[in-house]
Amino acid sequence: MSADSKDVWVYLQRDGGRLSEDSLEVLAAGRKVADKLAQKVVGVILGEGVDGLAAEAVQFGADAVLYIDSPELGTYLNLRYIDAIFSLVKERRPYAFLFAANELGKDIAARIAYRAATGLATDNVLLEVDDYTNPALGEFKNLLIQIRPDFGTRLARIYTPRHRPQMATVRPGNFAPLPPDKKRKGKLERVEFQGGEYPARVRGVTELPPPALDLAGADVVISLGLGILKDGSGKPRDPREAYRLADDLRKAFESRYRVRGVIGASRALVYAEVKELQGLISKANQVGQTGTTVSPKVYVALGISGALQHRVGMQRSGKIVAVNTDPDAPIFRIAHYPIVGDLYEEVPKLIASITGGTAGAN
Amino acid sequence: MLIIVLLKGVPARTTQVAQVGGVLNREAMDLVLNPHDSKAVEAADYIKRKVGGKVVALTMGPDMKLIPLMKPLFSAEVTGVDEEYVLSDRKMAGSDTLATSYAVSLGVKKLVERHTAPIDALAATISRSGYSDPVMSKARELYGANLLPNRVYSELPSVTDSLVRRFSEGVITSEEAQAELREVKETLSRFVIVSGIKTTDGETGSVGPQVAEGVSELLGKVVPHATYVEDLDVDQEGRTVVSSRRIGRLVQTLEMDLPALLTISTEYEPREPAASFQPLARYNSYMGKVAQAQKWTADDLGADPKRLGLAGSPTIVGAGIDVGKPPVQKFVNRSLVFLKPVQQLESDGKKYGPFERGQLAADVPQSLIDRLRAEGAVGPFGYDLLCGELLA
Repeated sequence: MSADSKDVWVYLQRDGGRLSEDSLEVLAAGRKVADKLAQKVVGVILGEGVDGLAAEAVQFGADAVLYIDSPELGTYLNLRYIDAIFSLVKERRPYAFLFAANELGKDIAARIAYRAATGLATDNVLLEVDDYTNPALGEFKNLLIQIRPDFGTRLARIYTPRHRPQMATVRPGNFAPLPPDKKRKGKLERVEFQGGEYPARVRGVTELPPPALDLAGADVVISLGLGILKDGSGKPRDPREAYRLADDLRKAFESRYRVRGVIGASRALVYAEVKELQGLISKANQVGQTGTTVSPKVYVALGISGALQHRVGMQRSGKIVAVNTDPDAPIFRIAHYPIVGDLYEEVPKLIASITGGTAGAN
Repeated sequence: MLIIVLLKGVPARTTQVAQVGGVLNREAMDLVLNPHDSKAVEAADYIKRKVGGKVVALTMGPDMKLIPLMKPLFSAEVTGVDEEYVLSDRKMAGSDTLATSYAVSLGVKKLVERHTAPIDALAATISRSGYSDPVMSKARELYGANLLPNRVYSELPSVTDSLVRRFSEGVITSEEAQAELREVKETLSRFVIVSGIKTTDGETGSVGPQVAEGVSELLGKVVPHATYVEDLDVDQEGRTVVSSRRIGRLVQTLEMDLPALLTISTEYEPREPAASFQPLARYNSYMGKVAQAQKWTADDLGADPKRLGLAGSPTIVGAGIDVGKPPVQKFVNRSLVFLKPVQQLESDGKKYGPFERGQLAADVPQSLIDRLRAEGAVGPFGYDLLCGELLA
């Protein structure tokens, strides 16, 4: 299904009565790609009572929306959703198809890709459009360039040159939703779907309480890494001291700039299960590929070397400040404000500067 | 019940990743068992303890590397695997998730056939030979190859009513024995596949659901799947599996008819099987463990070569990319910046500026910088400037 495929499809999920944040991001990613291709963005929505969501998708960047509104789809049964979406793919042949790289998006996309016998690049942090030449396969115009972390060591470009649709999941936190435009016009098309009997049944759904720590929504994230266990002279330090410094820095930011700050951590620190940090740092604090992707206004990395898994989870932050004793730490490659030094000396200076600024302003 | 665990060997260290054109060269690296797979082994073990059967490991990659990795899984008394099958062939090298899932699906199909064929063979012998030694010797041979469950034939003292024994003692007729064997075969077709939620190298999480789809295609019936499973249970007859799975902030309880595939979350903790399950579990289990791994090539699987390896992989891994380097970097206490606004300057007939406070003094000749530093107009970028720029 290659020759006549067209349009960039985005699969949109609901969160309560609205489109989910992840979906708005995928919509923005689709818009970016479609503009470069001079193609349309088509939102795909499944569920019960979703016509309002279809209109919302247009406001957030879709040119058209295909939606299936059915009581059968009121409950998420993956097999039924996959059948419904695949029937659309088979009939209309999109050029590219994007999903959110969350549990639901990945659940659906993998099976659809297999059924469509096409590729699936997961967890993309960036999407581009470009030509691609392969010595064995030839030249391809305007491919979707899928950019994802590869073996934890680098970001790699993934191409799906010969198969359509080019399918990709987009990691949440890497594309900013477009501002809604109530005047935008788009074509809403309701599609009927007749599902079959499935050898699976949803027996219940429970909602977990919202996470106590909202890393993704914070304005300022101050993250700690394994480097906090020693100071600049290599002497062991009680990591609780670093935690207190980070917390003081957080409070300083909050009171001077009226923002919301949260303490984060690298995977290395979370997995080290440092005894002194029990109750202070847990998996909920983890920033990075296996934790939460964040893009706060300010990101402060304390004693974090900056492995790729960490960087892909925070590199879209507005301003990145990094304190590390090692001048060659990879985190410095992406920091706007590298501070080569001992965090136990440097952070108090930064705090003093912020709180001093408050005094000055008064 | 046939319990199939999908396992993968992944690079032991990310600092020593051997790649050829974007494809991992697993033969050239130290490999470890994918850490997420241990939860799949725990889930398989729980199912076996509850309903009995056999835990079979299915893996793909260079057999010389993978077989030693599986060794510890055989030595474990309680958890672990009973048999191991390695899909190993140069034709499979460079497979992406689609080609991998195709090969693994063929492996699953072959595993099921490997376990149903002996039941047919025994039924045929019974039908042909009636009460006779050939039945007993066929049963003994298959049991010794770990291919008949205790309920069909057993050498355990505690199992006194195996099918073959009842048949040889005249308790059941040839027709009844064959009907019972058809039932056994039917239960073997209700297998379960478990895997980790993802691997630590590719981190796609796609192969699980894609194997469910691949097996569906090969068997001509829908095999459901559940990803991110945090809790699971099977009914005692081995007909359905009920799982709790995470979808964002929701936990969905999904009941699936077997055969089915589940990917097991790191949050999974096995339940304690009741003691009353033990006799039944033993009845459905096999002779024991076969530590000798079995290798299957592409030809053994009857694979379509166009669907394997690089040829069968729609995706191509290209060059790496460096993203994230900011256009302007200011090192605190090191980078020289303008400490106040400075009007346009001239030096050797060239014009520079004007400059704003905080701007890097990078493209300005050294002589000018020296002068500006002496005047206090240029200096190291300090914390006061940093604070001003962070949340302006």
